[in-house]
Parts: sequence; C-alpha cells; structure tokens
Amino acid sequence: MIGIFMLALAGLTSVGAYLLGTRRLGLPPARLGAAVGKTLETVGAVLIFLVANLVVAVPLVVALRAVTGTFVSVYVTDDTAWLGLSLLQGLAFQWWREASGKKAGALALEERGDLG
Amino acid sequence: MTGLGGVALFLATAFTPLAHALTLWMAVEPQLVPSDAIVVLGATVSPSGILSNESTRRTDHAIDLYHRGLAPRLILLGGARDSGAIEAEIRAKLARLHSIPADAIITESRARTTREEAARVRDLARSRGIRTVLLVTNSGHMARARALFERAGFEVHPAPSDTYFEPTAPEARLMLMRGLLQEILGWLYYRIAGYA
Repeated sequence: MIGIFMLALAGLTSVGAYLLGTRRLGLPPARLGAAVGKTLETVGAVLIFLVANLVVAVPLVVALRAVTGTFVSVYVTDDTAWLGLSLLQGLAFQWWREASGKKAGALALEERGDLG
Repeated sequence: MTGLGGVALFLATAFTPLAHALTLWMAVEPQLVPSDAIVVLGATVSPSGILSNESTRRTDHAIDLYHRGLAPRLILLGGARDSGAIEAEIRAKLARLHSIPADAIITESRARTTREEAARVRDLARSRGIRTVLLVTNSGHMARARALFERAGFEVHPAPSDTYFEPTAPEARLMLMRGLLQEILGWLYYRIAGYA
C-alpha cells in the first residue's frame, strides 16, 4: 500500500514536472527520451563506482589487517555512506564527460569556422 | 545498460516482494534435535551494553532452545565495540535472568569474525566433549557459518533465529535486500579465501 502510494505520488509530480517543462519552460517533449537515457547512464556510472569501491575495499581491509596488525572489519563495506560517495563520484564523472564532450564539440565547430 | 539494470533492481526490490521471496529461498530448514551445546554467534552490542535487535533475537531463541531441553550447555559469543560492554557477558546475564544456571553458560568474547568464532568454539568444545551443536544465527548467515563449524569438526544442526514476516514498506524491503546481498558477498569472500 505504501509502495503504491509512493509510486503514484512520484508519478503525479513527474506529470507536474512534464507540464511545467513543456508549457512554461518550453522544453521539447521529443528530448525527454534522451534525458531518460542520460539519467540511466548516470545511474550506471554511480553503480560502477559503488561496485569498484566495495571490490577495492575488501582486499584493502585484508591488507590493512596484515600490515598494521589492527583488526578492521570487512563490515566497513556495509555502510550506506558508500552509496552517497559513489553518487558524488558518478555524478562528477558524468558531468566531466558531458562538459568535455561539449567543449570538444565546440572546438571542432570552431575549427570548421561554424562558430564565433 | 548498467543503469537500466540498477533502476530495474531498485524498483523490483522496493516495490515488489522480491527480497522476501529470496529470503525464503535462501532460508535454512531448522534441525531442532538434541545436541551437546547451543552455540549463539555474535552480532553487535552498543558500548553502553545494549544488545542489538539481532543479538537479542539470537539470545532469546537460544534461551528458548535450552528450556526446551535440546542441549545442556549454552555457548554465547560476542566481543566488545570500542572497549565498551562485552556482548557475550550481557547475553550471559540475560540467560541467567531466564533461570539458566551459570555453570551451563560458556562465554567467548575474543573472536571477531565468524571464522574466528568457529575456531574458538572448537578450542572450548574439545575439553568438554562437545561434538554436536545447535547453531543459532540468522538464516542468511547460516550457510556461511554452518560450513565453518562443520569444517571445525562439529555436527551442525541449524537453529535459525529469524522470525519471518513479509515487509511491505519499500525501505524495509531495501534493507532486507541489503542484508541478503551482504551475506551472499560474505559467502563468496569466504569461498574465494578458502575458509568455507
């Protein structure tokens, strides 16, 4: 029941955002598919960072135990903060790609004399 | 593709009974038969001495098994966090409050991992002639723990402490899936390391 309520509410606010975007902000509806694609790409980047962080954490914990003689629990990987950190890493990486892509595109146009 | 998979997994976990179905699939059938001892694996305790829900659940289940006459000894495990209260000692106090005689209780607080727990219990059991154990932990942890205790030479009878209920709130479902994934990864780690 809670799940249905949450999904319905998210659906409602999404419709509101769609109407706001198309009617007030003049966003083209045809570009929504591309936006969803970019979102999925970013989620993918976040997940890759999450898996990478956790995969590196385990051998690092084992190495720390061996080198320092101090007990570090593998349960250090069981912390929600990893998700937050990975989210930041994924977002930064995707925006870096996005910004570099635009810059590269702009430079190419400039070289062809189509810009400026 | 990874993103689509991630979103699909999130939606399926939060808004369908997937996590509960997986829990039931992974659940270990209890074998509540008379044994030499009841072994209660450690969970967590706060530095001020408050047992976590998981620790309390396991201890309560073990006390119940003892009172049902399934074993004459209770081996309680669990160390301390940040030099605070010792989990095994708090559990022993709880067991004594439930009329379990002090001489039937054995505590072990030095083990920090499941593997170390199996090794310590093996050392404790050797001189006491303990060979068969009722192993108390949550069912997600049971597969890994059981393999370690069998490798340590025990005949293991699983006595999972879970009380099954189907979570309906998305957050509870996500937490359940997180616990499952954690145990699957733990089992994989132990397999790769050759511990289980």
